[in-house]
Amino acid sequence: MGQSLSLRLFKAMMKEEWRLHQSLVGPLGSGLFPAMIFVFTAFLAVVTPLLLSRMPTATILLMLHAASVAYGLFVGNFGSIGEHVMTRRLGQVSMVMQMPQTYPVSFRRMMAVFYAKDAVFYLLYSYIPLTLGIAVAAPMAGASFTGVAMLGLTTFLAFMVGMGLSFTLSAVSVRSRMAGLSLYMVLTGVVAMIHPMGIIGPECLMPSLGYWASKNPQGIGVSVAASIILASMGVTLMKEKYEIRQSRYSDSLLGVDRLLGFMGGLSTLVAKEWIEVRRSGALGPVVFSFSGHLLAVYLMSWVFERGVGVDLGFNVVFYSGFVGFMGVMTYSFITNLEHNEYLNVQPVSVDQVVKGKLAVYFALTAGVTALYVVGLGAVKHQMGLVPLGLLLAAATSVYVVGVTSYLTGLWTNTMFFDAGIILKFCVAVVPPLIVAEIAALIMPIMPAATYAVVAVSVILLLASVPILRGLERKWADASFSFVNTGQ
Amino acid sequence: MPVIEASDVSKSFGATTVLQGVSLNVEEGEFFGLFGPNGAGKTTLLRVLTGQLMQDTGTVFTAGVPNTEPIRLKQRVGIVPEAETPPTFLTAQETLELTCMIRGLDDVQSRIERWVRFFDLKEKRDILCRDLSKGERQKVMLAAAFIHEPKLLLLDEPFINLDPIYQRRVREYLQGVAVEGRTVFMCTHILEIAERLCDTVAVIHRGRIVEQGRLADISRGGDLEEVFLRAVEGGAVA
Repeated sequence: MGQSLSLRLFKAMMKEEWRLHQSLVGPLGSGLFPAMIFVFTAFLAVVTPLLLSRMPTATILLMLHAASVAYGLFVGNFGSIGEHVMTRRLGQVSMVMQMPQTYPVSFRRMMAVFYAKDAVFYLLYSYIPLTLGIAVAAPMAGASFTGVAMLGLTTFLAFMVGMGLSFTLSAVSVRSRMAGLSLYMVLTGVVAMIHPMGIIGPECLMPSLGYWASKNPQGIGVSVAASIILASMGVTLMKEKYEIRQSRYSDSLLGVDRLLGFMGGLSTLVAKEWIEVRRSGALGPVVFSFSGHLLAVYLMSWVFERGVGVDLGFNVVFYSGFVGFMGVMTYSFITNLEHNEYLNVQPVSVDQVVKGKLAVYFALTAGVTALYVVGLGAVKHQMGLVPLGLLLAAATSVYVVGVTSYLTGLWTNTMFFDAGIILKFCVAVVPPLIVAEIAALIMPIMPAATYAVVAVSVILLLASVPILRGLERKWADASFSFVNTGQ
Repeated sequence: MPVIEASDVSKSFGATTVLQGVSLNVEEGEFFGLFGPNGAGKTTLLRVLTGQLMQDTGTVFTAGVPNTEPIRLKQRVGIVPEAETPPTFLTAQETLELTCMIRGLDDVQSRIERWVRFFDLKEKRDILCRDLSKGERQKVMLAAAFIHEPKLLLLDEPFINLDPIYQRRVREYLQGVAVEGRTVFMCTHILEIAERLCDTVAVIHRGRIVEQGRLADISRGGDLEEVFLRAVEGGAVA
């Protein structure tokens, strides 16, 4: 009885997930997403060995598994969703997950099924296409199909460990913020012991990586066990009952609106966005994740340089070019905070709220960006390049996030599952960034490349003007319920 | 003079036709009731009339504005949607302030005071809307629709989640609105309340208006329930 109920819930959740994607991006867009991952991975798998022929296989494996753990950490942070589900904070969104409110099924069982559903969904939607993509390049790289299949398995297991860790941490954090914070610090300590301290090997966090050292299946077994133990811990730690707290706040809207008076007609919506970021508890995570992603780019190249033993010559300007890409995740985070259905009945259009979110995005990231560029200038003794780095960082941030907001409006997280939108995004963003990054790299040997960086920056800033102006045309007639109704 | 003019409006979602050739006029100062079984198209029609949704065919003018200009239209009317979804992270007080500022109203605090008193929200005004009960959230939604005293109110189940005290209070307020010469367009399932309030009614069934007229004329001595059942069941009751 119990097993069949879980199986039925699992099937219902899988259907729900698939239909949610279809309602948002259409059956074609939804189906094309794994196809696009396949094509993209196949391209990278063919090209990467040619570009990085000097990179040791161990470093490539380390980066792939580390990226999978990071992906899992990002996906698995749903242990905190219970509070929102059980205290009816999801607006009009109604999901199978909400059944424990009214039906005799425990929330722990529901979360266990949800966890299994997400694991299968990401396996089908990401890891199988990714493995098939790598398989295309296998003959050229002299790799066996068995090896590629094992790579798919070990990276998926790394993803599962990351997901389990994140799930358990978020479940603990809901019970006790202090306990959650302590566990986060322990995890940070473990990461620090792997790198930069080098006290323990990366296999401690990614057991499946250990398989590649000796082809010993023990690492795979440990990974499977760790995934199951972490998932079970997360489910066990889930709270069944949530108290509806009444959070009281003194009136802030008018004060913030007055402070933002210089923004004219946009001040009220920006004030609303700002208050939402603060009260949802997103301020810290937004700033830290943005700076964390920027630092990760620097650390990855540092790891690479250490692994290969050569100086890649990445300068401040090169790193500054990544700001826009990292900004996409931050903008996406900001758009996820509120459903905005209330505004359907007010004389406000979606494009106005998008502009409000963009204003908050720039307010949250401008200081971090400046600190990052100046800090790198100091660390790398390249303070002379800081002004150029700041210009490129500002240009990529405005342009890339502008393109993102134009293509995805208030639903970045879900719209990016539409292959058509991802394709448009890549066409608009990748070529100018590649030009800027190549120019930044060759500046030391070809000083004229500096002008190319300036030119790309200016072009991106100029191109941003019609894109931002086009927000009104693109989103003025959209409904704030777009995510729920697909209209 | 009609404040709502809908002519031959049709709307489909994929293969499902929700509205089929709907035409209706609502005159200024009328208290208009729209009734229909679940899934008949009431909410879709209200969303089309308020510019939240575009029809596939037909034309709509609400408060003298075509629904193709939703911002201008919403500026002129007050809308209570089907679901009570005030902003999650704003307090009740701030939600009303936001509404006033979006609408460019003056006397913000005195307007808010009036509606906070009307709905007895004084003790709740600094609580985040997400933490309010459904009834309290509905009160915030109603206050936000009433606060600019529009000439036309479009209300989707306005009494839902309200206890009898506030149902009565809102009912009396809406009667006063109509007496002042303003217009109320209401979708509701509560036929007893509607019977007491509406001058003119329309019954929608499977996306078509199947009965429309002054309540006194179409009830033929019966009550609204009979009008409703007759229209929906094709004369089963009559």
